[in-house]
Amino acid sequence: MDAPTWSDFWSNFGIFRDAIITGGLAGLLLGFIGVHVVLRRMVFASSAIAQAAALGVALSFWIGALVNPEMHAAGHMAGPNAHVTPVLFEPVLWATVASLLATLVFIANPVRLHLTRESLLGFVFLASGAGAVIVGDKITQEAHDLSAILFGSAVVVQRSDLVLVSLATVLLVGGHILTWRALVFSGFDPRGARVQGLPTRALDGFLFVSVGLSVALCTRALGALPVFAFSVLPAMAALVLTSRIGLVFGLAGLFGALSGVGGYAVAYRGELPVGATQTALATLFLGAALAARSIATRVAAQRRSPPPSR
Amino acid sequence: MVEKAGYGAGVVETGPLIRAQALQVGYGGDALLPPISVDIGRGELWAVIGPNGAGKSTFVRTLLGLERPVAGGVTLAPALRLAYVPQAGALDAIFPVSVRDFVLMGRQGPGNVFGRAKAADREAAAAALAEAGAAELARRQLRDLSGGQRQRVLMARALARDADIVVLDEPTNALDLAAERDVLALIEKLRARRGGAAVLMVTHLVEDALERADRALLLDRDHQVALATSAAAMHDAPEFQHVYARFVARHPHAEEREGPR
Repeated sequence: MDAPTWSDFWSNFGIFRDAIITGGLAGLLLGFIGVHVVLRRMVFASSAIAQAAALGVALSFWIGALVNPEMHAAGHMAGPNAHVTPVLFEPVLWATVASLLATLVFIANPVRLHLTRESLLGFVFLASGAGAVIVGDKITQEAHDLSAILFGSAVVVQRSDLVLVSLATVLLVGGHILTWRALVFSGFDPRGARVQGLPTRALDGFLFVSVGLSVALCTRALGALPVFAFSVLPAMAALVLTSRIGLVFGLAGLFGALSGVGGYAVAYRGELPVGATQTALATLFLGAALAARSIATRVAAQRRSPPPSR
Repeated sequence: MVEKAGYGAGVVETGPLIRAQALQVGYGGDALLPPISVDIGRGELWAVIGPNGAGKSTFVRTLLGLERPVAGGVTLAPALRLAYVPQAGALDAIFPVSVRDFVLMGRQGPGNVFGRAKAADREAAAAALAEAGAAELARRQLRDLSGGQRQRVLMARALARDADIVVLDEPTNALDLAAERDVLALIEKLRARRGGAAVLMVTHLVEDALERADRALLLDRDHQVALATSAAAMHDAPEFQHVYARFVARHPHAEEREGPR
């Protein structure tokens, strides 16, 4: 069979439209919020939260099957589109709860336990990763779904995921645009911000919850790998390219969206795994940004250096 | 416990802006210093002095409500505008913050959390930068500035804040003499704001502090505290001299640079 062409891609665009839009919105949302994640040195938190979300999804499958095996099996018999899941066992609900619990670990201050925050996040990451693999071994029927969530190889996105990611993008990006100056102040100089009466705890709470929610919703739709990539790499690329803080947020959102959309298209054309391709494209953006920065620095140095004497 | 409305509005005009009563500071329930009671009034320049590790920064952070007191309390007059000038090296260089954006942070507060900076805030920030002699730095990145330039910009943010009380954490640390003079001149400008802002300056430079401050609080290790309530008292008060003598005894080179004269 011949490899798919760009023409095939456009002619089948309707099939992939929801997945492409979801990838673009997730990239925009995570890229935008990811600027705070990178600046506040929370990169590992994003990874741990994504892993916890994946465990939440795995648990929703497993516990759903344990509690009501007949209905679960009937759902499978009917096919994926007719698969009716009780609200209580909605994967996105479990992913959200697991993500918010992991977020609480990040907010908690473990000094009394003589531990660092990073070590607790390491615990969350490892426990969630191990748990997801163990639970995944117990659920043969959804093993493919779980693998898609863990490694980001989801080709088709459910309409409900698109709706949730769209809502989250509008609400969270909107909220972040409204509060970005205060969020930057409380991250950059938390003592100064508190002394001036800014509600730093509420602002930090909003940031952490928005990271947890966006990671949970996007992990359910795209998988843990691209979600972690979108929340780190676009922001890094933007920070390398410019020192104008407003532009950093805009570029990070743009790079994230392009990685989500472009990664899907390239994966289709090259018959590659979607999540890994989206991650690779985000990595390419960072590599290009580093190269552009290096060239700009050299050109600036050459302009500053005096002309050679004759 | 830090209270923000401890006494009536009529008292604010003449009463202290901050009152610490038997305040003990420390961490995890362990007091670093004995109880301290001070009233800080409008227009006063306070120097909080002592060697590194004496608890100076902890004391002022507790006054500002950033740390929980071990015992005692702090009362702030109602509706105070506070400003905190951190040590220049304490700010995270990874943040891409321009000088203009940094000074604009001084205009943020409980009523100014959302949205873009207003025109009035931008004007106030520009005026503060000009007053600090840093207008030409507005487009530069804070992280790219020299120590002296950075300190002027930090002071510009406090000027833009138009605060009743400004707390400066080691404002002359690691500066050359010219930059140090600039900072001390800016402190006088801060005091002239809002009918006399109170300034608390944390420093380990005893000589400079005693030369300029209206009041001085000397904190030393081994749980020693001395309060001088006037410039003359700083030199004459036996209690102050006693603690100072202990300080010099442990730091024999301190008197050459830092001793009271």
